[in-house]
Amino acid sequence: MEFLIEQILNGISTGSVYAIVAVGMTMIFGVLRAINFAHGEYYMLGTFGGWYAISALGVPYPVAIVIGVAVTAAIAFVIGRLVMERMIGAAPEASVVATLGVSLVLQNSVILAFGGSYKFFSEGYIEPVFFGDIGIAQQRLLIIGLCILVFAGLEWMVSHTRIGKAMRAVSQNTEACAVVGIDVRTVVIATFVLGTSLAAFSGILTAPVNVSVYGSMGEIITFKTLPIIVMGGLGNVRGTFIAAMILGIAESFVAGQFGLQYRDSVGFVTLILMLLWRPHGLFSSHARF
Amino acid sequence: MKKSAFSALTRCSALALCVGLATPAFAQQEVIKIGLVSPNSGANARYGAFAQRGAELAAKEINDAGGIDGHSVEIIPADSVCTPVEGVSATQRLINQDEVDFIIGDICSSVTLAMQPLVEDAGIVLLNAASSNPEITYKAGVGGYKYSFRNYPTDEVRAASIVEYAADKGLKKLAVLSVDSDYGRGAIQFTKKYTGAAGVELVSEDYYKEGEVDYRAVLTTIRKSGADAILMYGLADTTPIIARQMIETGLAGKLPLIGNGEFSAAATIQAAPKAMNGAIEAAAWLPAYESEGSTAFVASYEAAYDGEEPNNHAYGHWETVHMLAQAIDEADSTDADAVVAALEGISFESPMGAITFDDHHQAIRPLLMLEIVDGEPVVTGSVAGEVDYAN
Amino acid sequence: MNLTEPYQSDGARGVQPLRLVLVLGLALVALCAPLVLGTYAVHAAVIAMIFLLPAHGLNLLVGYTGMLSLAQAAFFGLGAYTSALMSIHLGTSFPVNFAGAALMAAIVAVPLGIPALRLRTTSFVMCTLGFVIIGQAISKNWISVTRGDMGLSNIDKPTFRLLGASVEVAGPVQTYYLALAIGALATGVFWLLVRSPAGRNLVAIRENETLAESLGVPTWKYRLAAFVIAAAFAGAGGSLYVHYISVASPLMFQTIYTTTMLIIVLGGGAGSITGVVFGAFLFVGLSEGLRVTPELRMIAYGLCLLLLVFKFPKGFAPLLQKLWDRAGGITRKEGSA
Repeated sequence: MEFLIEQILNGISTGSVYAIVAVGMTMIFGVLRAINFAHGEYYMLGTFGGWYAISALGVPYPVAIVIGVAVTAAIAFVIGRLVMERMIGAAPEASVVATLGVSLVLQNSVILAFGGSYKFFSEGYIEPVFFGDIGIAQQRLLIIGLCILVFAGLEWMVSHTRIGKAMRAVSQNTEACAVVGIDVRTVVIATFVLGTSLAAFSGILTAPVNVSVYGSMGEIITFKTLPIIVMGGLGNVRGTFIAAMILGIAESFVAGQFGLQYRDSVGFVTLILMLLWRPHGLFSSHARF
Repeated sequence: MKKSAFSALTRCSALALCVGLATPAFAQQEVIKIGLVSPNSGANARYGAFAQRGAELAAKEINDAGGIDGHSVEIIPADSVCTPVEGVSATQRLINQDEVDFIIGDICSSVTLAMQPLVEDAGIVLLNAASSNPEITYKAGVGGYKYSFRNYPTDEVRAASIVEYAADKGLKKLAVLSVDSDYGRGAIQFTKKYTGAAGVELVSEDYYKEGEVDYRAVLTTIRKSGADAILMYGLADTTPIIARQMIETGLAGKLPLIGNGEFSAAATIQAAPKAMNGAIEAAAWLPAYESEGSTAFVASYEAAYDGEEPNNHAYGHWETVHMLAQAIDEADSTDADAVVAALEGISFESPMGAITFDDHHQAIRPLLMLEIVDGEPVVTGSVAGEVDYAN
Repeated sequence: MNLTEPYQSDGARGVQPLRLVLVLGLALVALCAPLVLGTYAVHAAVIAMIFLLPAHGLNLLVGYTGMLSLAQAAFFGLGAYTSALMSIHLGTSFPVNFAGAALMAAIVAVPLGIPALRLRTTSFVMCTLGFVIIGQAISKNWISVTRGDMGLSNIDKPTFRLLGASVEVAGPVQTYYLALAIGALATGVFWLLVRSPAGRNLVAIRENETLAESLGVPTWKYRLAAFVIAAAFAGAGGSLYVHYISVASPLMFQTIYTTTMLIIVLGGGAGSITGVVFGAFLFVGLSEGLRVTPELRMIAYGLCLLLLVFKFPKGFAPLLQKLWDRAGGITRKEGSA
């Protein structure tokens, strides 16, 4: 029983990380209809920004979080203007090639700038707290808490703010938005910057427990995120949260019961099984994409 | 950081040019070109970067000391992305386009295996400094590939000595947590050959992918399994991750890590001292090793690359370039067959002790046994490993 | 702007002298290339022709049926393992392994295709990507067959046996001619396929599935057939690959293989046979050519991809078409193709 609780806790802690990254990707998909194959790179950029702020500027961890996110947002803004903006209404194939290109450029620019070798992230709140036998790092509790806050904030934003409503409108019908005078480009850029900043935020938050920082660390995250956003019902914020938690917990059980080597297949196996059962995704009544 | 490596390279070529101009007699062979195949992009670039820096540092040292018989050395890097097809292309380019005299590489075994037939056909010496698949040297030397050498300890010797050491320490039940690669899987396969005799039992087997960051689930299971220690053949940068999560899950201080995976690196111990204390490792080299050559290497590496602590890939490639230089010097030629003969008969005084090659072109080199005591690595012994090719 | 519009030549009938010269010239260049080029360039050409096979298959899916599949790399890997295992355990010659690899990929594609083809665009892409990830997990963990991460090494060079005599195709130059023959054959087969009434039905499905269905085209069967044929092409490519590179390991399922195939088709011009053939040489050539600057190689490659999307949204097919038209004495207005 205790084992069960501990694995669920492990799953939630993993799922929270996935959820913050995935929600950004799913929102970007919502407004652009494009799978962002470079999404993990922004996670990497955020982590690198935080690492650089700590090791070169010597700032404390909370400030590093702000710097990391800000740097990533700035880079994302530029890429948004140069690349993503042109993806509005483009064929899905075009966005696949474009985001793969962005991914290669970002990943290898970081390797060029900082060297390809791994770095250690040494800050954060890594001391564990124990509940009986079950220990968990303070940092993970922080991640779980912030994950809930992020989702509450996003829910509030899409239902109460102007820009949030515009995002929802654009993801439902891009052409109609243009007709009624919503500036689609601004909405796309705003969503893109917000989505990638969330990836960066997740990156710096997990850096203390993930320790190792290197240029190509983003690819794994991209591949973890892809099945989540499809399961969550592309563009669906709440669905993404639930899908991320399901995947996190499923992964923990598979890793705990069957072996760590099967863990990476869990996401896509779950996805394929789910698609067999409900081709429309878990949370939408009809197939949209 | 990149800049210094680059400037070292430019200096090398500048020096080469001077030598070439000054001594026209050597015009035919002014620079000795060594191709370095390693992953420079993709997930394994984080190890390839160390390999390249180590090799370039060695080349710079050789050139600063006047080169090999007046010939300077140039390292020509080529990216394998840790993918056989890219590795083969990189090797083809080095051989046919850059016309290198020697090749060092790769880190990933599958790439090395694909490179072996190529260099054999081209008659170019290949020195491997990081791949652990046993196949590489089973097929080399008297096994077939005349031009392939490996200067890297075999996992069999390592696995056997770790099992023995663990049994002596009373660690009879081991939970396996190794990297999911030919290295991690291969070492465990060898371990199983020796567990029976030593009375050691493997209670669980888990393999993590390169780049895995979440070990909580498996550590939770290990805690319940009644294991005495975690047997790990892992990667340098994942050791601190696992160590930190051992603290989190309450395993630190209860189950020591044993095996190999840069347990003794200062940054690793510092990341999680409580988990690393008592760790037992069989390593070919460690940054804290007290020998003149080794400390000098660490110092010059850190000076050249912004204070970055070198890892075993950096050391291995650095050492291999120096060893190749000695072989070329002894052969007094860059002719492949002469250098093969020189390598076969070499006795290279590395900072870790003498290195020779067996008839399968596998390096026979000392392996250190060390233990982390109070946050400091303590060398407890050394084993010289020879491979028994019969089984 | 749709990347996947077909570029089919029409118009000029009869033999155009300039076109004939162009075709014969290209054939001559292909045949003589190894005499002029260095080993490295010949090797790169072999790699291009190896990737051409899965790319043809992918083109059938993207260009002719409008389905973006990432599963080609999984079938490529499956073909490579099949061919390697046949060669190791059965000692069969290359033509047998080659056919076996294609057949195995086709057989496995049926049960995978049936559920996957029910899915819509993005879900289908993700599902096919899942096949690659699962393929890698199987190759890593089914150790008794695949030897896991140790991989299968020292796989025989392509060997032909006839009447007791055995000929081995060794080295880049010999493999070049083998790959050229296979590539030409595959391109010919592909051309016949898409030119057939069946091929035209595929295009009809892509353009308007409902309409095609109402005209009596069994769309579901056609799409499954396309998926299976595409897999067979990929499996065949895997076979040629593994006998040339000599190693089969889980690393074959890395994203770089998927990306290469994808870019050849989308960059070459989905729906165009010449475009894809051109794309295979162009993008393998580009990736190799950029080795002159090891540090900037991947950054430059990424920038080239962006350039491709923005400057040649339909790939290079329209450009080739224009060239072909000009050779045939046809002038078209911009964009009317």
